Amino acid sequence: MSLQLTKPKALAYSLPALIAILPFLGACLYIFRFSISGEQSRIDGFSIQPYVDLMTPFFGRSVWLTLRLAFIATVLAMLMAVPLAFLLISLRSAFARRTLTIVILLPLILNLLVQAYGWILLLGPSGVLNSTLRSFGIIERPIFLLFNETGVLLGLVQTSLPLAVFPIVSAVRGISREHLEAASSLGASHWRIFFDVTVPLLRPGLFGAASIVFAFNASAFAIPLLLGGRRVQMMGIAIRDMISPLFNWSGAAAAGMILIFVTMFVMLFAAWLTRLASEKVERQNAR
Amino acid sequence: MRVDLLPTEGGGSYRFVILLLATCGILISSLPVIVVTIMSFSAADNTGFPPEALSLLWYSEVIALFTSEDANSAQSVVGSTVTSLLVAVIVMAISTGVCIPLAYVLARGDRRIRGGMELLFTLPLVFPLVILGIAFLLVAESLRLELGIWRIVIPHVALVLPFVLRNCLSAMSGISIELEEAAVSLGASPLRAIWDVVIPLMKAGILAGLIFALIISFNEFTITFFMYTVDVSTLPIWMYSRTASSLDPSTLALSVFIIVADVVLIVLVDKLIAGRASLF
Repeated sequence: MSLQLTKPKALAYSLPALIAILPFLGACLYIFRFSISGEQSRIDGFSIQPYVDLMTPFFGRSVWLTLRLAFIATVLAMLMAVPLAFLLISLRSAFARRTLTIVILLPLILNLLVQAYGWILLLGPSGVLNSTLRSFGIIERPIFLLFNETGVLLGLVQTSLPLAVFPIVSAVRGISREHLEAASSLGASHWRIFFDVTVPLLRPGLFGAASIVFAFNASAFAIPLLLGGRRVQMMGIAIRDMISPLFNWSGAAAAGMILIFVTMFVMLFAAWLTRLASEKVERQNAR
Repeated sequence: MRVDLLPTEGGGSYRFVILLLATCGILISSLPVIVVTIMSFSAADNTGFPPEALSLLWYSEVIALFTSEDANSAQSVVGSTVTSLLVAVIVMAISTGVCIPLAYVLARGDRRIRGGMELLFTLPLVFPLVILGIAFLLVAESLRLELGIWRIVIPHVALVLPFVLRNCLSAMSGISIELEEAAVSLGASPLRAIWDVVIPLMKAGILAGLIFALIISFNEFTITFFMYTVDVSTLPIWMYSRTASSLDPSTLALSVFIIVADVVLIVLVDKLIAGRASLF
């Protein structure tokens, strides 16, 4: 029968897609090659100088700031994502569920500029928060929440929240209700069930979600650019500044590689934790 | 006895804390969008809150922006909107065009190859956007490529491929090979069987993929921020150049159009893939 997938036919069908992804792969290899170039502005020879040049207090601070902000944003996002996932699953009406899904999903998809406008209107010196507080006489001078770490943190939590909620929703769906019912019938309180049964069962899903959120936040660029006002030098911004005013292309490439290594390391570590946790869950289930 | 993650009655502090945190999450997600929408109806030309009076002033301003004389240069709002739409349409066409045959082969072919290919096509999703932007910029600049609009199209295609392929694959999964065999035994050529039987059955998934490509490409900022030039620039870049000076309410009105378009598109995707796959 001619419907059999022969090798040439399979190749012909997948070739267009492979060509479409080729520039991406090429760009990835190119930036790696650039990061070990002997020259700053073109690829010439091999050298680890770009990496050595990054060992400055300035770049170190940038890496530390990136890790710190990404970590705090991840913790905050997870704190809100778990309750949101519970709420999403417990909603009975399909309309309410769909509306909540869209509300959570929108920040990830919507034009980041629109969201930045929103935060500026909310938190800016003459924004909603400041004028409300002032009209109640709580503060006299506006408090500055934008163009510093607070603003960036809020933006990061907002945009990464959907990445946390949806994996947790599918993890919660996988929990068998029998465990919860057993704990409840033995007289455990809601908090007790949450910490002793639900969270341990969810742990693989939680680690997975947290690692995605962390990687996303660590490589954030638009949020620190728009809400940090360049004063919050996360790695994305630092790398851009190497390119744009400084024309240190090989340095930017090397810094980019470091950013990739950092996020990959975190994701691999989380994958390892996930495996440990899910083995534990399986053992508990088997018992 | 029924036990829920979120007790409907009782539950005391547990229920309270869970609902409080969930509310915080909803507020953080939605407040910026809500405030932008409210302020776009303000009658004043500053951004003080709450607006003293409501008007459609800024909406007529947006229309004026689009119809005024100097609107035809590439950096104007009209030029960048046209570029944005053009990029999105090309990206939609290319990504869907290449993903349909690939999804067909992966669904019919070897399982191991499928796993590897799916992994390969997920890569753009996990790769940091800012690095991707710099990488494409380095390639384009140091090789001195004259790409025109393709400067932006090529990276966007890579970006949307994971979403389009996933939708096409889940659309293929329900289509059994017997349908094709039936068509062929009735005298259709294998290609005709794909075109007339398989593709129509994939329609919902293909449409969902198309819309995903449109949403992502139209809203993309980070990569475009590195790749735009004086001649080729998109709407988000134009909006960025406006924020740099000061926030003026007509951009808010424009933002509301974008918000509405995005919400409509997401609702459409949600309907198309309802129950078959999760959005992410």
